[in-house]
Amino acid sequence: MPEQLKKKKPWVKRILIAVLAIVVVLSGIYWYVATEKFSDTKDRKADYTVNAIDFIREFEKNQKEANDKYKDKIITVNGIVSEIEAADTTMNIKMMDTVSKSIIIFTFQEQHLSEPKTVKAGDAVSIKGSFSAGIFSDILEVIKIDFKRSALNK
Amino acid sequence: MKKFILFLSVVAITNSLFAQKKTTTSAIVRFDASTSIDNMPKAENKTVIAAINTTTGSLAFEATVKNFSFSNPMMQDHFNGPSWLDSDKHPTFTYKGNITDLSAVNFAKEGVYQVNTEGALTIKGVEQKLVTPATITVKGSSILAVADFSIKLSDFGITGAPIDGGKVTKEPKINVSAELK
Repeated sequence: MPEQLKKKKPWVKRILIAVLAIVVVLSGIYWYVATEKFSDTKDRKADYTVNAIDFIREFEKNQKEANDKYKDKIITVNGIVSEIEAADTTMNIKMMDTVSKSIIIFTFQEQHLSEPKTVKAGDAVSIKGSFSAGIFSDILEVIKIDFKRSALNK
Repeated sequence: MKKFILFLSVVAITNSLFAQKKTTTSAIVRFDASTSIDNMPKAENKTVIAAINTTTGSLAFEATVKNFSFSNPMMQDHFNGPSWLDSDKHPTFTYKGNITDLSAVNFAKEGVYQVNTEGALTIKGVEQKLVTPATITVKGSSILAVADFSIKLSDFGITGAPIDGGKVTKEPKINVSAELK
C-alpha cells in the first residue's frame, strides 16, 4: 500500500504544479489587461484621413452608416478651427460646417492637453483622435461628432 | 418710419429671446463607480451639450455615451458593451428639467446661488425622475452650473456580476459642471 501511494504522489504533484502555473499565467494576463493604458494617439496609425466638412456631410447624409463605418477608429481630421472651448481647466477644439452649423469636437489626451492653447480660431489644423460617435443634438438641432484622446498633428 | 421702428422692435425682441438661452458644448460630466475593491470604474465626458433658459429656468443636458473616457481599454469596452450601457443602441444620456425655485437666482446679478432642480434623466432608454440641488454662479455673461448627486444603477436596468461582486458601486457619484454662455 505505501508503495502504491508513493506511485500516485508524482502525478498529484505534477497536476498541482500545472494548476498553479495556469493560475499564475491567467492572473498575469488579467493584471496586464486590467492595468493597461491607452497608447499615445500620436503614435497610432490613422485608419482614415478626412476633410472636416466632408466628414460632417457623411453623418448628415446617413448617421447610422457613418457611425458604423468609423466605429472605434483612429481618424485624422483636417479642417479649420472654429472655436476653442474651455472644459474646466482643459480646452476642446471645435470645427464647424458654417452652412449646417454641425460640429466636430475634440477632447485631448492627457499628454496633449496643452496643444489646443497653441492654435486659435481660423487656423487650419490636422487633429488625430479616437472617434466616439456622431449624434443629432435635440438641444442644438445639429449633428455633433465627438473625438476623445486627440492629438494635434504637427 | 413705422416699418423701420417695427423692424427694430422685432430685432430687439429676437435678440432678447436668444440671450435668454445659454448653451455650451463642453459641459463636463464625471461619474465615479469605484469601490474599495476596484478604483478603475470612473470616467469623464468633456463634450456634454448643456442649455439653460434664464427666463423659464429650463435645463437640458445631452452626453454622447461613447465619449466617456476611461484610462483602461478593457473598462472602456465593457462600459459601452451590450451588457452595460449598450451605447450602440442608446448613444446618449439626456436630462430635461427645471430650476424649481427660479426666484432664488438673479441671472442679471453676479453672485453664487443655491437652487433646486427637478427633471427626467434618461440612461439606456430608461427615464427616471431626478431631484437635486445645484449651485449657479453668475459672472458677467457666463453662468456656471454645478451639481453633485448619485444614481442607482438598478433604476436604469444596469446590473451585473461586477456590481454584485463589489467591483462597481450600486450608486455611482455624478458630478456635472457646465459653463454656459
